[in-house]
Amino acid sequence: MSPTPMLDGIKVLDFTHIVAGPHCTKMMAEHGAEVIKIEPVTGDPVRGLPFHKDGRSGCFVQHNIGKKNMSMDLNAPEAKKICYELVKQVDVVVENFAPGVMKRLGLDWETLRNINPDLIMCSISCLGQTGPLAHLPGYDFIGQSYAGVLDMNGEPDGSPIFADLTFGDVSTGTHAYAAIVSALFHNLRGGGGQYIDISLLDVLFSYHEMAVEVFDGSQGKMALRRSGRHHPLLSPLGIYACNGRYIFIIANRDQWERLVQLMGRQDMLEDPRFIDIMARGRNRLAVDQAIQTWLDDVDDADEAVRLLQQERVPSAPILSVPEVMNHPHMKARGTIRTVSDPVFGQLKIPNNPLRYSQFPESLDLRAGFLGEYNHEILRDKLGYTDHQIAELEKTGVIAAKNI
Amino acid sequence: MTKRMLEGFKVVDFTHVVAGPHCTKMMAEHGAEVIKIEPLGGELARQLPMHREGRSAYFIQHNVGKKTMALDISTREGQDICHALIKQADVVVENFSPGVMKQHNMDWATLKTINPNLVMCSISCFGQSGPLAHLPGYDWIAQSYAGIIDLLGEPDRSPIFGDFAFGDVSTGAHAYGAIVTALLHRMRDGNGQHIDISLVEVLFSYHELSAQLYDTTGGQMVARRSGAHHGMLAPVGIYKCKDRYLFLLGVNHQWKGLATAMGREDMLNDPRFTDVVAMGQHKDEINAAIEAWLDTLENVDEALALLQKQRVPCAPILSIPEVIAHPHTKERGTVRTVSDPIFGDIHIPRTPLRFSEFPDTPDLQAGTLGQYNHEILRERLGYTEQQIANLEANKIIASKNI
Repeated sequence: MSPTPMLDGIKVLDFTHIVAGPHCTKMMAEHGAEVIKIEPVTGDPVRGLPFHKDGRSGCFVQHNIGKKNMSMDLNAPEAKKICYELVKQVDVVVENFAPGVMKRLGLDWETLRNINPDLIMCSISCLGQTGPLAHLPGYDFIGQSYAGVLDMNGEPDGSPIFADLTFGDVSTGTHAYAAIVSALFHNLRGGGGQYIDISLLDVLFSYHEMAVEVFDGSQGKMALRRSGRHHPLLSPLGIYACNGRYIFIIANRDQWERLVQLMGRQDMLEDPRFIDIMARGRNRLAVDQAIQTWLDDVDDADEAVRLLQQERVPSAPILSVPEVMNHPHMKARGTIRTVSDPVFGQLKIPNNPLRYSQFPESLDLRAGFLGEYNHEILRDKLGYTDHQIAELEKTGVIAAKNI
Repeated sequence: MTKRMLEGFKVVDFTHVVAGPHCTKMMAEHGAEVIKIEPLGGELARQLPMHREGRSAYFIQHNVGKKTMALDISTREGQDICHALIKQADVVVENFSPGVMKQHNMDWATLKTINPNLVMCSISCFGQSGPLAHLPGYDWIAQSYAGIIDLLGEPDRSPIFGDFAFGDVSTGAHAYGAIVTALLHRMRDGNGQHIDISLVEVLFSYHELSAQLYDTTGGQMVARRSGAHHGMLAPVGIYKCKDRYLFLLGVNHQWKGLATAMGREDMLNDPRFTDVVAMGQHKDEINAAIEAWLDTLENVDEALALLQKQRVPCAPILSIPEVIAHPHTKERGTVRTVSDPIFGDIHIPRTPLRFSEFPDTPDLQAGTLGQYNHEILRERLGYTEQQIANLEANKIIASKNI
């Protein structure tokens, strides 16, 4: 028998949409919390994103497994009343509207804390709840632009570029999850409820593990700039071509010694230009040339990576998403999980990366249809009669659809 | 003053570089006591720039709030000290390559017999199991294996990467979240446990669309790197104004605002531009219209003002110095100041968790190498001055003002 999940008994009321907020509440569900997700009657806009099958969105499924879906018109007074009643019963509220929307809906922290003084409320936004940019609409890439992240991607003299993946959204959801659990912990120790403000901008800016302190520590003399496929300061640290494929190589300290041996270039060990990773960074062209010359003699990228890894030089083939999903390591680890869905059947999504010895198995969770739990929650949690529920449906306050 | 959220919790920290240290820094910022054990020469991060008088600002950024000890954990005496500290601790965090902790008698099987309530978290590039587990790794190695770097670059050219370790930092945050969850579980009558966090899995979870798309289309739709524009959606991307670059998105309801801002309401009725899928197929026409419009404007500020008036999500692409100087980040305190004995004041990113009960970040410093050796051995473990002197003479512990 599997043990009781870690957040068992914790109740979450979820007003989130798209990715950042839903990822946070999905993590709560994966840890055993009960999550009631309130969508507008037209559905979370993520339901408009591909891939679609019979009106059902695979993107929605990925970010919303394990939640009990309700769908209601939050502008209707009856819906607000339902939310207030639910707020009384929950431990956590999560939302990721643009700042100001929750207040307009009468669901802001000042109002909700009066209804439930032990409540933990977490707001996730692009630019934060305060400051001159707070009111602007935003997405992950807007956060990446303001955080100095996009400026770091690209060739030195070309346009900055970006990758089609929202690591800002997903990882901001994780930060929110961590903050909420910290606050729950604090509450368990008698600390009471509180409000948490998480922004993509703050999260993304924290990812500059070097650029900020280098700029500040050098009193503004050194600013890291985008430098294409090589690091601007350290070498070797970058992407090399090998027979039509690309591989990543990093070699510091003893890894550099082993790389040089492997390349048959022991002479470089004596050369003061290559004495440490910073010196090599200043003489990057010579380092890159030596590596490229060696790679040109190796059969293919697989062989190069095999030789490098045999010498414990950090290196990797640059895999595409399909290659990752079919890689024996990811298969052995279960990095990709399969969820079952009434429309898609089986659907592959990334697994939760938090692995606990006490909870080796992921919970078997699925994503709800629009408004699937309207009746159950109104009846069982709030004591609404079937007649009252029918009335809400008739007046368009709640809605349901098999998407 | 309110007790900080993790006050009273003790962490023994065997981490280095970024991913592990970021996790234990977050624990320190939430009030935990973190004892960081470094090798005698200091951990690798101390060699990374910026340096002043041998002190690394890189080390400071990732290690504020920790009590630093430097000891040789390959010796019996060093291991005895670690075991004695772990007996008193709630949490152990490490990010060696898998196998190294076992080599030093510090693996989970050993530690759980020393302290059955312990929460131990291992952070690694590939995880503690699977065929790649034994390999050395850094953030970008994991980004390569997670299908991320493949998505960065121009379609027909080499992939590139960003010079910031978002995999390391965010894996540290995941580890923090997992540890707090395990502590909460323990407080609610659960036991200690071992947590296995890998960069590859954290990074793979960032594919919010591609994994699912590849799967649901039976391999028909594969995300590919597409330079300054999104591969499937339009308009989503980077555009050049006369003076600099900006990012804008105009899909779904924002398309109307964008067309209005450009004075191109005519496009709203064109069947090529009526839904997300059709717009993705006519990217080139849309991008041409946006570029033509931006060419008529003076500069990026004018473009942003017109776009923001229509609530079109947009942003200038800022450099680090610009982010630090921006009025918004200043008002929010996105950049925090820590004081350091060598650098004086130094600016680093603020940990992005903001709590109403704890509005201020605690005033924390980064230790010098082995700064707390004496204090911890004496006060926590009852070592005499003579014993400590012997450890120093035998090069089991060391300290240095770096």
